[in-house]
Amino acid sequence: MKDHQQTLEQNKREQPMSLLLKAMITGFVGGVFWSLLGYLAYFFHFTEISPNMLLLPWDIGDWKYGKRGNYLAIFLIGLLSILVALVYYVSLRKIKSMWAGIGYGVALWIIVFYVLNPLVPGLRSVAELDRNTVITTICLYILYGLFIGYSISFEAQESEYMQEQARNE
Amino acid sequence: MATKTDIVPIFEKLVDNETYLKEKIGIGASFDLGIRKIFVLKREVHLYYCNGLCDTQYLIQLLKQIVQINDDERQSVQAKQILENRLVHQQVSPVRDLNEAIDKLLSGLIVILMEGETSGFIVDVRSYPGRQPQEPDTEKVVRGARDGYVENIIVNTALTRRRIRDERLRFEIIQVGERSKTDVCIAYIKDVADPGLVELVKKEIKQIKIDGLTMADKTIEEFLVKQGYNPYPLVRYTERPDVAATHLLEGHVIIIVDTSPSVIITPTTLFHHVQHAEEYRQNPAVGTFVRWVRFLGILASIFLLPLWILFVIEPSLLPEKLAFIGPNKHTHIPTIVQIFLADFGIEFLRMAAIHTPTPLSTAMGLIAAVLIGEIAINVGLFVPEVILYVSVAAIGSFATPSYELSIANKIARLLLALAVALFKVPGLVIGTTVYLILLARIRSLNTPYLWPFIPFDPGAFMQIIVRRSVAGGKVRPSIVHPQNRRKQPT
Repeated sequence: MKDHQQTLEQNKREQPMSLLLKAMITGFVGGVFWSLLGYLAYFFHFTEISPNMLLLPWDIGDWKYGKRGNYLAIFLIGLLSILVALVYYVSLRKIKSMWAGIGYGVALWIIVFYVLNPLVPGLRSVAELDRNTVITTICLYILYGLFIGYSISFEAQESEYMQEQARNE
Repeated sequence: MATKTDIVPIFEKLVDNETYLKEKIGIGASFDLGIRKIFVLKREVHLYYCNGLCDTQYLIQLLKQIVQINDDERQSVQAKQILENRLVHQQVSPVRDLNEAIDKLLSGLIVILMEGETSGFIVDVRSYPGRQPQEPDTEKVVRGARDGYVENIIVNTALTRRRIRDERLRFEIIQVGERSKTDVCIAYIKDVADPGLVELVKKEIKQIKIDGLTMADKTIEEFLVKQGYNPYPLVRYTERPDVAATHLLEGHVIIIVDTSPSVIITPTTLFHHVQHAEEYRQNPAVGTFVRWVRFLGILASIFLLPLWILFVIEPSLLPEKLAFIGPNKHTHIPTIVQIFLADFGIEFLRMAAIHTPTPLSTAMGLIAAVLIGEIAINVGLFVPEVILYVSVAAIGSFATPSYELSIANKIARLLLALAVALFKVPGLVIGTTVYLILLARIRSLNTPYLWPFIPFDPGAFMQIIVRRSVAGGKVRPSIVHPQNRRKQPT
């Protein structure tokens, strides 16, 4: 009986904390992984846009175009992605369908390429980008959105299921 | 299809029983069923048996004992009790229903009926034809246990029990198939496995209404996971008792089906199909290395060909350093057709190798190597690079531990290659995206197929990327909803 109580207590203390933390880790890993894949796509000329797009607005020297710039940008995207994940966590966590994540990815793409893109000097607008670039980036954002969204929703469902189980016992 | 039969009480007169049995199961018509009639204390006793399924030595011993009753005993009033006493075997059970007796008789037990009694005895003297446990061909390890499951469910549960002596290990048995009456065993550890999952599996198996399970575990799988035309394997099979025991301890539910040496592990994700016992027989560093190389092979088996054909069609995509890629010679056949032909060639070989006797398959391999490797190039059918990439992809397939997964990947690879040939970059990118979304959508027994990648679980994903030491793995994977999370105290 005592053992039982301990596990219950553990659940209560750990769960809410780890859910948020997991969402943040998911955000970071998702950002890094999918932008690395984006860099690979850039390497093979699938897209004209590399992760260093993030650094372009800032005047920090020419190295931002090279490998170092890209890796730094990938890392920064990872950090930004934590925010993205938190927004999903707060707003859409309860939605069970994985399509919510895909929609979230598309929405992100629209925000980045239609709202933020014009703010960056020297970057062409969507209409001017070539077809491959548009398709590749949309697909990357879709998979990124799926990754973030599905993970967070699933974790939320799982913790709900576990709490229900604990209550039933 | 036959329906469940009703209870028929055993008749007092042996003649009636004999007629019933003769009519029902055709004793006399079927040569493998027989009766031995003897007299015990002046009363007739019938012994029904099924030839080949019971051990003759035991039967002779039993008969000897029964016949001796006539020499030793005088009281004929208690003939039935005396008879029961003299059945020198640990598994003797009384029976009152003739149909139940028939079921047992046909599974190899013997039925003993006595004149004037409305109940008989069933003695378990089964001895099924079968082989000794051997190392399974598909899951070999350099070191470690060499025993594998066999076609006999009793031996299989025993091999598992040998590894987990826990009093909470459960082997629940259900008979499935109206005609075949195949034994299906659901194995789980009571305080670890998710009771919801156990219930679900039991419910699904009990709902199966079919005449026979000749393909045993595969039939059960098709009823259980309802996968339609999705080529990806939704359950993992293993023939290794140590692998099954590991999964039991992790909280999985195992389904053992009589007459099949492979057992089903549920629930499974894609990543259960890319691990191999060998990784756990080596130390963690080596295991991790082996696993990474294997992942590389599996990825190559899916994406290498589509990527290469993309670069053949559009060499401008290649970065300068990789500009050498692409065929130097020209042939008259489009590259995509060459790839399909070569890949089908390998598929022919693989299929042929399954049912070709070993002496012939050596010759077959030789012919194939010369034909595809040399002559096809000389004739101008293939460019050498096609052979190279198709071969690497094929070897990647062979490096996939799960046979089912490797074939599913092959289909995915050919579809992607086709998409690339038709639509170039968008074909590859959209094709891969759709492929990943479709995989992520699959749920096998309520388990997301790409877990722990999508949905992402940091801890579990690390377990996949790095083969952790057993001492370091303190918790069970959360995906099976174990009731008891810890494997080791902290």
